[in-house]
Amino acid sequence: MNAAAPSDDTLIRIRGLTTVLSGKKVFDALDMDIPRGKVTAIMGPSGTGKTTLLKHITGQMRGDAGQVQVDGKNVPELGREALYALREKIGYLFQNSALLTDFDVFENVAFPLRQHTSLPEVLIRNIVLTKLQAVGLRGAAQLAPSELSGGMARRVALARAIVFDPMLILYDEPFVGLDPIALNQVLKLIRTLNQTLGITSVLVAHELDAIKQVADRVFLIANGKVVAQGDPKTIAGDGSPWTRQFFGGEADGPVPFQYPASDYAEALGFPRSGA
Amino acid sequence: MNARIERDNIVTQSLGQIGACGLFLLQILAATPRSLRRHVRETVRQLWFVGAMSLTIIMVCGLFVGMVLALQLYHVLSIFGGTAATGTVVAISIYRELGPVITALLFAGRAGTAITAEIGLMRATDQIAAMELMAVDPLAYVAAPRFLAGLIALPLLCCVFSALGIFGGHLVGVTWLGIDNGTFWSNMTATVDVWQDIISGVVWKSLAFGAVVALIAVFQGYTAPPTSEGVAYATTRTVVASSIAILALDFVLTAFLM
Repeated sequence: MNAAAPSDDTLIRIRGLTTVLSGKKVFDALDMDIPRGKVTAIMGPSGTGKTTLLKHITGQMRGDAGQVQVDGKNVPELGREALYALREKIGYLFQNSALLTDFDVFENVAFPLRQHTSLPEVLIRNIVLTKLQAVGLRGAAQLAPSELSGGMARRVALARAIVFDPMLILYDEPFVGLDPIALNQVLKLIRTLNQTLGITSVLVAHELDAIKQVADRVFLIANGKVVAQGDPKTIAGDGSPWTRQFFGGEADGPVPFQYPASDYAEALGFPRSGA
Repeated sequence: MNARIERDNIVTQSLGQIGACGLFLLQILAATPRSLRRHVRETVRQLWFVGAMSLTIIMVCGLFVGMVLALQLYHVLSIFGGTAATGTVVAISIYRELGPVITALLFAGRAGTAITAEIGLMRATDQIAAMELMAVDPLAYVAAPRFLAGLIALPLLCCVFSALGIFGGHLVGVTWLGIDNGTFWSNMTATVDVWQDIISGVVWKSLAFGAVVALIAVFQGYTAPPTSEGVAYATTRTVVASSIAILALDFVLTAFLM
């Protein structure tokens, strides 16, 4: 499937990305255009390389071929200094939060500010408390990461990801482990960041209901390619076998549910019928 | 044939590890100026963690090593009527060999394993990746401060170990066994050479051991597979590799410094 025609409104432009990991082709000449200032969701079956795609965007991984351009810069070609300069403009929310266990919640959120700015302490405090208030955890500022639940840790990681008001935020499974109240607040926060600051957001998630509320565009990837894309409210009904299987939760379809294996009956030691 | 292939694999893997460790050292050295410029507080924090927090074990062990050394030497030297030399032999043994070697072995067990486990878990829980994505170089923020802290802490800990060791020797030799206090100290000060014994032993050997132990500990943590088993193996490898490296390097340094 061809991606949309590139334009100046495109923040991330991926062309012909091919990546082979352990002999398996994760991306096969993948094309994707992620629009600037919008919320884009990337969906797909487990193991299709959604998180790997985020790693290509941030330069943590390099493909075997193809281009990954972020804000006009081809990430695989960037040197260390240029890559770090780009990363200062990107917020990243990890699946497992990845909070620094040596620091409390406040210092975790303050960490990027302390490393990259010489702001006075009072200003750092105000920025951090503002971000913690936004995720509803200002009162937990002095807690250690080990004292947080999974959902709370994710919200702290979100506060850390937005502390610099980046141009782009990459969310890796942001809704996992959130209770309905926190989920709603995080959805609102993603929307608000996008609308008030014009921050581009890319979400890797499986929750279609949540994505319908927040995303402007959805890409469905499978077999190393974009197999469907469009409006999150209508993509489920576009009629393709990929969307029918994925959004319908069916075991049968183009995406195999079973990992390749030998014959089941043979593995259990039953005689083959007709043998 | 299989045994030969296995032996060749072990040799290849060991040489590969040593080569990778050497390249890692170059990366740390390249990141050190950046680390000192931007993260000097982290180096101080690590110095406290690996240095000050190791003081208790170093002091207690130094005291007992000096005590047992004096006790053994007194009984051996009394055969030849040379008990007056107890202080001298205790001091030279500690300055030249026991001080740097035992301090380094204790340091590898106490601080080296902690460094490996900490960095290994930081990698397993994506903390290292998070730093990279926040545009903070983990080599400058995590690896270099711990390497520098080990390099600085070990000679200082060796001084403390040596001082406590000699105090322990004095406690047993003079206070308990009745060697004359003046003889104990005067023989020691007359025989111990500052350059030959203290500088080459306590300073040069400790610096070399500090660099080797800290490098192995940081390298093992940094390259540990991100699993519980991977971190556990890496921690064990830190102790084994450090111990072998300390004793082998001790022989080489002694041969050159004598």
